[in-house]
Amino acid sequence: MLWKRQIPILIVAVIGTLTLFGWFVNEPTIKDFVDDDATQWFDILASFAIFLGGFNLLKMQLQKVIRKQQGWQYSIFAIVGFFFAIIAGFFYKGNPDVAWGTHVTADGTLFKWIFTYMFAPLQATMFALLAFFVASASYRAFRIRNFEATLLLVAGIIIMIGRVPLGSNISSWFIMYLLVLIGGITINSVFKNKQYTAIFVSVGIIAITATGSSLGWPLDQPGIFYLPYLQEWIYKYPNVAGARAIMMGIGMGIFATSIRYILGIEKSYIGE
Amino acid sequence: MKFLTDLILKMGTVDRRWIFLVIALVVIVPLFYPLGLPIRATATTQHVYDTIDALPHGSKVLVSCEYGPSTKPEIHPMVLSVMRHLFKNEHKVYVTCLWPDGQFLASDALDLVGRDEYGLTYGEDYVLLGFRPGNEAVVKGIVSNLRKLYTIDAKGTKITEIPMMEGVNRFEDFDFLFSASAGYPGTIEWVQYAADPTNVPMSTGTTSIQVNEVMPYVSAGQVQGILAGMPGAAEYEALIGVPGIGTSGMDAQSVAHLVIVLFIVLGNIGYFIERHRSKKY
Amino acid sequence: MFGEIFGAWVAAFLTLAIFSFLYKDNPFYKIAEHIFVGVSAGYWTSMFFWTQIQPNLFGRLWPSTHYSDGIWYGVYDLFGIFSSSIFPEGGIDKGHEMHLMYLIPFALGIMMLLSLFKKLSWFARWGIAYTVGMAAGLRAYGYLNSNVIGQIKGTIIPLSDPDLPFFSLLEASHFNNLVILVGTVTGLLYFFFSKEHTGNFGKVTRVGIYFLMISFGASFGFAVMGRISLLIGRFVDLIAYSGAQYHHASIWVLVIMVALLGYSAFTDKGDPNTDVS
Repeated sequence: MLWKRQIPILIVAVIGTLTLFGWFVNEPTIKDFVDDDATQWFDILASFAIFLGGFNLLKMQLQKVIRKQQGWQYSIFAIVGFFFAIIAGFFYKGNPDVAWGTHVTADGTLFKWIFTYMFAPLQATMFALLAFFVASASYRAFRIRNFEATLLLVAGIIIMIGRVPLGSNISSWFIMYLLVLIGGITINSVFKNKQYTAIFVSVGIIAITATGSSLGWPLDQPGIFYLPYLQEWIYKYPNVAGARAIMMGIGMGIFATSIRYILGIEKSYIGE
Repeated sequence: MKFLTDLILKMGTVDRRWIFLVIALVVIVPLFYPLGLPIRATATTQHVYDTIDALPHGSKVLVSCEYGPSTKPEIHPMVLSVMRHLFKNEHKVYVTCLWPDGQFLASDALDLVGRDEYGLTYGEDYVLLGFRPGNEAVVKGIVSNLRKLYTIDAKGTKITEIPMMEGVNRFEDFDFLFSASAGYPGTIEWVQYAADPTNVPMSTGTTSIQVNEVMPYVSAGQVQGILAGMPGAAEYEALIGVPGIGTSGMDAQSVAHLVIVLFIVLGNIGYFIERHRSKKY
Repeated sequence: MFGEIFGAWVAAFLTLAIFSFLYKDNPFYKIAEHIFVGVSAGYWTSMFFWTQIQPNLFGRLWPSTHYSDGIWYGVYDLFGIFSSSIFPEGGIDKGHEMHLMYLIPFALGIMMLLSLFKKLSWFARWGIAYTVGMAAGLRAYGYLNSNVIGQIKGTIIPLSDPDLPFFSLLEASHFNNLVILVGTVTGLLYFFFSKEHTGNFGKVTRVGIYFLMISFGASFGFAVMGRISLLIGRFVDLIAYSGAQYHHASIWVLVIMVALLGYSAFTDKGDPNTDVS
């Protein structure tokens, strides 16, 4: 029990306290250890964690093949892929002019070939798939059910259109006409009076046309209806306010959780 | 009218694979037939450009590449443009990577811009220090003692044998930091452990998804401007006058955004029609 | 050159195989997915070993500057018989001095690897405890300083500066500063759950929600932007691989895949018991 529980908790407490107070202590030995060696040890252990993950994966895929579980044929591809990368990493350079060690970053090596033509395309494509799902989800699930959802949607649309070159080419007068149309639909659904709707829409269109003609239809005036300016304002002010509130909340939460780990209150890393 | 409303309702139940096909087409077609829409730099991009342009001649600039192949389309054009700007203004560029795959991409960028375009010398004008694992511990290591963390560069050469490393021992010896970041570790770690404690100025370029996490730092002045995703990269390319992948992708980006907005509007029109009908009956 | 052409065909196949998932789950996708898993694990293992373990751990345990004929380097020479690339003759020359204290992380690392065996699974806890402790200590300061104190400083902005205009869309103004202050405070108050959100407090937190919704909407817009950018990147590569110098790799792979998936769909239509996977 001592080895499995108390010692890990002691390690977290000692190392956590040392690292935290290392920010405030000027004593050379402690500062040297915290800033240099402790950091290096962290890097080394992070690397071993990666090896553990890799070997665990290999173990699971091999078990799947040996026990002929469902889809075991595909596991052969995973195992072959793993060993192919290991051979390129440890046994066959492909470029005799490059030393072992730098071969993982140098040109002309089998390792670089694997990165360029296998790893990079696979990783990039996995993420690119999400573009399709986001479009499908937007169409099928994004609904204006209440005022908050409307705010979210409108802010999202303004950012999406205002942030790209297309938004710069949409005149603010077009947006004003669109707003008059949306206003007309809203008035119709609230008052259910065709007369009110007709008056509102006609007056709106006449007013905008008259003002626009007199000013010569400038693309970006009035600024509040020009999408790039509007998205810039949303991006820099109300969006920052909301994001800042979230960030401060998360920051305080992380501080509290870190202290809980150091004091030994939180023990999820040993499964408790 | 009833025909139109029925059509809109029917479209709401369409197999999602048709939506996938439409998205694929609206992205591919502009790549073959560009619209040539002009690109206008936003204030945050301009801020990055102005900050870099105002650096004194021969400044030591740390460029940190924390992105991989999955985020290359957004970040790589930014890195190329920023490097072009830095080399044009004759600054010394030091490149580190907090992500391992960032090293390959950084190496490609340095070869293309530094070696091929500007004919500069490795070790005298630019150096690739390379990747070190450890996330924020690496940032802390660079701040306290860079030479303990980096004893060799990415090519295996000892740091002590690289001419431009003379006088560079810790983060404060740099004049500016540009972090090209796609997530964790990245911009936020550089702000928290390097730029904030030492007051070395920094700018950043991030993926579109990470922009909102970083904006409060930009607004608070902890980061000098931000290049937001591929549009940000395209804007920077326009500012330095060298169009690249960022620029060529913007037409496809514009059309795709418009189509997605139309999808959302159409979906909501269908929703309101359905709601109106269910209330009626 | 052959490597490049062959590589283009492999990249085109893997890309289109992943995209084929959009049609439906199929063997091409499963093969590409499993290759991704295997190659990633091997890639990361090699990369981390050669950039961290070999130079920074072994390079400090057996540096070339201290090479001698003693027992310690005798062990090194024995390892060198098995792998002269990892343990070159004469010690490892990466500019480090000898630090036998690094046997501690080496031991913790070996314990982590031994946890692969079920009976020794608790071995990993010591190494994990070290990384957790280190991360907790670093983050406690980092997040408090930059995410809380730094942001509070950023929110303390002038509301009565006579040089500022009352309203400006893009530049600093009284209105914009007020928006930031009100939005940040009301947004923070929304997360205060020790008091019920009713009455005047409820009205204030409602305003906070509105600011949070605008922020989420902006995040949504940026998320869509990011995903589309990644898709553009893939299509740019596929278009490049469809060129004559790569023997139209993308086009041939696409045609063959569509033909095989189409044939499979045609034959599956008549057989309801076919296992799609």
